[in-house]
Amino acid sequence: MRFPRITHTIRRVTMLLAAAALLLGGPAAAAHASSATTGTGWIRLAHLSPNTPAVDVYLYSFGNSNAQIVLHHVAYGTVSPYEAVNAGDYSVAMRAAGASASSQPVLSTSVTIDADHAYTVAGMGPEKGLRLQVMDDDLTTPPGKALVRVIQASLKQQTVKVTCNGTTIVPKAAFASVSSYQAIPAGTWTMAAIGSGGTATQSVTLAAGTVHTLVVLDGSNGLEMISLEDAAGAGKPPLGGAATGFGGTAPHGPGSPLPWAALIGAGSLLALTGGLRLRRRGLRRQLHAEV
Amino acid sequence: MAFRRPAAIIFAAGLVVIAAGSAGLLLTRHSTPAMRPVAAGVGALPAPTGPIVAPPQSAAPRPVAAPVSLTIPLIGVSTKLITLGLASDGSLQVPPITNTAVAGWYTGSPRPGAIGSAIIVGHIDTVNGPAVFYRLDELRKGDQVYVRRADGTLVKFLVTTVQKYLKDQFPTQTVYGPTPDAELRLITCGGTFDPATGHYVSNIVVYATEAR
Repeated sequence: MRFPRITHTIRRVTMLLAAAALLLGGPAAAAHASSATTGTGWIRLAHLSPNTPAVDVYLYSFGNSNAQIVLHHVAYGTVSPYEAVNAGDYSVAMRAAGASASSQPVLSTSVTIDADHAYTVAGMGPEKGLRLQVMDDDLTTPPGKALVRVIQASLKQQTVKVTCNGTTIVPKAAFASVSSYQAIPAGTWTMAAIGSGGTATQSVTLAAGTVHTLVVLDGSNGLEMISLEDAAGAGKPPLGGAATGFGGTAPHGPGSPLPWAALIGAGSLLALTGGLRLRRRGLRRQLHAEV
Repeated sequence: MAFRRPAAIIFAAGLVVIAAGSAGLLLTRHSTPAMRPVAAGVGALPAPTGPIVAPPQSAAPRPVAAPVSLTIPLIGVSTKLITLGLASDGSLQVPPITNTAVAGWYTGSPRPGAIGSAIIVGHIDTVNGPAVFYRLDELRKGDQVYVRRADGTLVKFLVTTVQKYLKDQFPTQTVYGPTPDAELRLITCGGTFDPATGHYVSNIVVYATEAR
């Protein structure tokens, strides 16, 4: 996971310079821009700012003013499904729900999507300090375990503790923070988010090889918790590939020449023996004739 | 004259054997190519029919039923799915040699259509002919793959890429690791067959994602 606000600013400046180079017709710059887009990654968008009204969220591929994805009327507590997109540079913009697509966004950020990586871009913090945070979501799990992280999006409970069957997994999650991933054995566990003024609990089944995000929210009636299954794979990954063929349709190399050579040798011996006998008889007859 | 006959016969027999040996040597000097294509009549199948159900990947993903059959119309595959685990050496179990016409789903992987990478395995061939995944490497991006589940629902996948890996460089994380959407991995053998080990040296892996 990274919190790349500064690097994003740098990247944005870099992208602006690249755009300028493109406009000036730099073919090298164009070639570079296209070489970045190989493979696919995933992105999902979320609204986790408690006192911010619903928004429209736009995803733009870098350099394209037509949005690739638009989510309308995204309210607090919403996390979209992941969308597979080509690897490359994108920008995410938030506008007030119903605002014109051409209007100035309330917020925007850029995000670089690498192939085979997954990202969550979430509006976080209080309305007055609203920011878009880019999270690089983990897609690898330790053998036999699940990964769990916590996004604390409750403004009413500024700090919460998160426990798994009574054992603390995140001791102090501050408002608008994202915890690191915790490796937890597979099983069904009772997760609890405990604030000074309330608790939210939920039974969560964690299969081995899965990645989860727990989101702590301000509900209509105290704390709330949602459990997201972010990704899943084989809990016990097989070792190596699979032995799935017996060779019946495979190309075959030439067989050994030895049996054929032996046959030729045997034939030669036979012919030689027969030939010698014939010759001997011939000689004997000649002798008889002379006597 | 009668005395000469056995010697003449031996001589003639020797010549015949030499001729046979030479003919055999000449006729087996070239390689036999792989069997291809498959017999006529095996071709495109119609897509299966039934409700295609794609549960939303939301906060509470609905569980999906276990897979029971697989259809790949383009390459004429229509097979039931058996369940597979791990072999004693930790590798992926494969369908038995007595049943190479079926493919199997690895029960340690997600169910097809649930979030994650579902693993389905089938043989490319038997000791003397094609098996269920013989034509797997003919699939290309966009080709359709259907899995029917125990509750009768179908899930449709679209091929994204087909890769060939040497078995000693098999990318287990890419193939078996977690994915954030519903994906399918179809695995069979490919590349060169090594008669010394009795195994192919490569695997073919077809990657597909759920059509939504």
